[in-house]
Amino acid sequence: MFSNYLKITFRNILRNKTYNFLNIFGLVIGITCAALILLWVEDELNYDHFFPNRNNLYIVKDKQTYEGKTSVFDATPGPLAQAIKAEIPGIKTTARSTWGDDVLFSFADKPIYENGRYVDAGFLNMFSVPFIKGNAATAFTQLHAVVVSEKMAMKFFGSTDILGKTLKVDNKQDYVVTGVFKDLPENLSLKFDWLISFKIYEGQNQWLTQWRNNAIITYVETEPRANVAAINKPLYGIVQKRNPENNAKMMLYPFNRIRLYNSFDDNGNDKDGLIKNVRLFSLIAWIILIIACINFMNLATARSEKRAKEVGIRKVVGATKQRLIVQFISESVLLSFISMLLAIAIVLLVLPAFNNLVNKNLTLQLFQPLHLAGLIAITLVCGIIAGSYPAFYLSSFNPAHVLKSAKIKTGSAAFIRKMLVVIQFSASVILIICTVIIYQQIQYGKEKDLGFKKDNLITTWLRGDMKTHFTAIKNDLIGTGVVENVSISNSNVLSMGSNTSDFTWEGKARDKQVLITIEGISSEYISTQGMQLKQGRAFYENLKADSNNIIINETLEKIIKNKNIVGSIINWGNRKCTVVGVVKDFVSFNAYKPADPLIMYANTYNANLMSIRLKANVNLTTALSQVEKVIKANNPGYPFSYEFVDKVFGRMFKAENLIAKLAGIFAALAIIISCLGLFGLASFTAEKRTKEIGIRKILGASVSGITGLLSKDFLKPVLLSVVIAFPVAWWLMMTWLKDYEYKISIHWWVFALVGLLVLLIALATVSFQAIKAARANPVKNLRTE
Amino acid sequence: MIKITGLEKIYRTEEVETIALNKLSMEVKEGEFVAVMGPSGCGKSTLLNILGLLDDPDGGSFLFNGIEVAHYNERKRSEMRKHVIGFVFQSFNLIDELTVYENVELPLIYTGVKSSERKAIVEKVLDKMQIMHRRNHFPQQLSGGQQQRVAVARAVVNNPKLILADEPTGNLDSINGTEVMQLLTDLNEQGTTIIMVTHSEHDAKFSHRIIRMLDGQTVTENILI
Repeated sequence: MFSNYLKITFRNILRNKTYNFLNIFGLVIGITCAALILLWVEDELNYDHFFPNRNNLYIVKDKQTYEGKTSVFDATPGPLAQAIKAEIPGIKTTARSTWGDDVLFSFADKPIYENGRYVDAGFLNMFSVPFIKGNAATAFTQLHAVVVSEKMAMKFFGSTDILGKTLKVDNKQDYVVTGVFKDLPENLSLKFDWLISFKIYEGQNQWLTQWRNNAIITYVETEPRANVAAINKPLYGIVQKRNPENNAKMMLYPFNRIRLYNSFDDNGNDKDGLIKNVRLFSLIAWIILIIACINFMNLATARSEKRAKEVGIRKVVGATKQRLIVQFISESVLLSFISMLLAIAIVLLVLPAFNNLVNKNLTLQLFQPLHLAGLIAITLVCGIIAGSYPAFYLSSFNPAHVLKSAKIKTGSAAFIRKMLVVIQFSASVILIICTVIIYQQIQYGKEKDLGFKKDNLITTWLRGDMKTHFTAIKNDLIGTGVVENVSISNSNVLSMGSNTSDFTWEGKARDKQVLITIEGISSEYISTQGMQLKQGRAFYENLKADSNNIIINETLEKIIKNKNIVGSIINWGNRKCTVVGVVKDFVSFNAYKPADPLIMYANTYNANLMSIRLKANVNLTTALSQVEKVIKANNPGYPFSYEFVDKVFGRMFKAENLIAKLAGIFAALAIIISCLGLFGLASFTAEKRTKEIGIRKILGASVSGITGLLSKDFLKPVLLSVVIAFPVAWWLMMTWLKDYEYKISIHWWVFALVGLLVLLIALATVSFQAIKAARANPVKNLRTE
Repeated sequence: MIKITGLEKIYRTEEVETIALNKLSMEVKEGEFVAVMGPSGCGKSTLLNILGLLDDPDGGSFLFNGIEVAHYNERKRSEMRKHVIGFVFQSFNLIDELTVYENVELPLIYTGVKSSERKAIVEKVLDKMQIMHRRNHFPQQLSGGQQQRVAVARAVVNNPKLILADEPTGNLDSINGTEVMQLLTDLNEQGTTIIMVTHSEHDAKFSHRIIRMLDGQTVTENILI
């Protein structure tokens, strides 16, 4: 029997090429989209699965509450890891880690910056670093030892057999390679190409021994089945026991949740992070598949008259309704299978471009059980969903009626088809409206006044002796004629991450704690960044003259509420600082949130970054080449690397950009599939109404009149879908936007424009068939009848 | 074999009610060849559909070999059609996507006959209908007469007790028509009961008895043999 179905399906495909093309093409698009999205979802859900101990791994989070609002940070005090291990039961091991540092490694004539971490020895076992040479036990027995990735080993030595070889770090110290580990997969929350003992970092930063500074990451591995609630109890106040002034309360956060959650509300409670995107895109995958299945259903039922005779004959010779249902569902599963094979080819073809779009390295592995099962499941689900309604509809035909060529009463079927068109177009309209609004929100963030000028501004890390030679470098850079100004500071303007609550001022309530961002800057900083002073002045060129002076931002000015703020005193611990200027608020970290209160102080001791403002209208390639020459001349032995601040700014919108791009692509595909279906339906309707059209023309109807008559029936459901989609899209976007403090208003004209666009697209789709039918020779139409 | 008493069939739309069969009664003995004649709209095809269990009567009794089958459910009707009844239609009603062989094989598939047995049965029947040489052709590649022979082959492949023929020569020329009538006669001589609806007096002469209908009722019966 199955071979019978197979024959019928293939012969049907050959006999009805247009119809089957529309069906298969729609299903191929649907399955391809679903496969790509599900590959992305799989990658996200498998994040960090590389680490076998992940169920017992935690990162220590630090919660701080100011003015009733709780913020959650990853920065913890240096002595915390040891204290946790010593004082709290249920802990297997702890390890400190830095955040990820770009450090200069050199071998022979090859100096290259590589990213890695300074970590405690316990880190190596906690995260099961996959050694291929050496091992965790011996990796850090020497102080100046380094373990490197395969990639890094090959880069420097062209081999992984390099135990005992040395690499010079930062042009200062030789480190012995004591281990080589396998390259880590892409989908990890923490990545590194080298690891060096944390003791080195601790030796260079003595403040790490203090409890008052939260500056490094603490990882914890609990014993299996440890009671985390029981661990969190003593952990909560562990810092306050030693340093009552430190607001930070500690808690364990599961490593498993870092990728997809790791987002906190104003009460410090865990909430959904990237998991929202995973759910959203999974939903979109299903919507696209359902739209493709709806196409199938509509086209199959529209063609029902062509198969009515076959149904009648089969029933006459003994087929039961159930048997016919099985036959039609089998046919649709076969069509779905053919579509799946084509979809696999297309997925393999477009995967590189998709990987580029989502910045991942996804692969489709046909023989991997999960991928194979997924593809089979999609095929079966599509085939069964798509085939079910047509199967039940077709198998219910009365053989006596259909064999007498009686017209099939399509009242309820036609209504259902229209409702399915409504569903398809509603989903498409919603996707398009959401894409437009997301795009508007992104543009709003990108185009708002940042409070500084991001164009033509580059940054480079202070390496070697650049800090001590800053003035000479600055003068040489300005002397090139391509540089307007140069400054140094602790961090990038877009990621000022240091903060403290150790400030008081007149009128400040004793119990009020305000977390203030602090940034050490050179005197040229404000002009180099293109910031604006609202009041007062910038720091003098001789920074020492301003050693007890500070510049604050507007947000802090509003908090302090002093009408004569310039000249007033703010106490930093025991130190009295005078406010000499107020700078206009600028964006840092998040373009959609108001600025945090900020203090800039005149001290470059902790400066890490140089900002260079290039003149407007210079040739960037030439300018960068000249900058590089100056930097290298003043700091030989260090390769020059830089980054454009506007590129860093662009990265702030990474998540929104991804959503906008994918939503846009899938909206376009949803419309294409829906229009394919509409095209097919219009074609069959025109064919079915051949006689009517012929008679109308003979009686004097015009081409435009007939076109309008045929088009009207299809435009009504599209219009209804637009009306249904509007409130749904509005609600979805209001929900999405509520996470942003700075957000656009949703304008009515977006809905109107999208509605009009979709109506025009639908009109264009059906009018092709309508005009063709209207222009046909009426005599020919009636002769056929 | 067949006893119909007071059979009624009414077609209703929102505004119109049409009485297709008006308390019709008739009997057909096993082995008979009965022709049913009458003007268009008299209810012949409706009668045939009910006899073939393709449609339900609205009233009356239909005994088939003494068993009341008028209100059989779909499953039981399907069983009867598979094993007991064969159909031959005016417009042949072959499945265009299947070859001659596959069309004739179809009833055997529905009755669950094994693949190895089906081949022998189908080839025997095709041979008998002298259409074996076209077994791999599709219906649209055959003449009208050839298509009807395939339809007859399909109708008899399961050895039904009853064949219902609805104007079997209506779309054929006289030579092919006579050939098909001869086939039916041969089947009847082998014991198959045949009820045939026809407009053709020439075809009706092949039967044992002619029943004439008018307005949903039988009006006369002529016994020829």
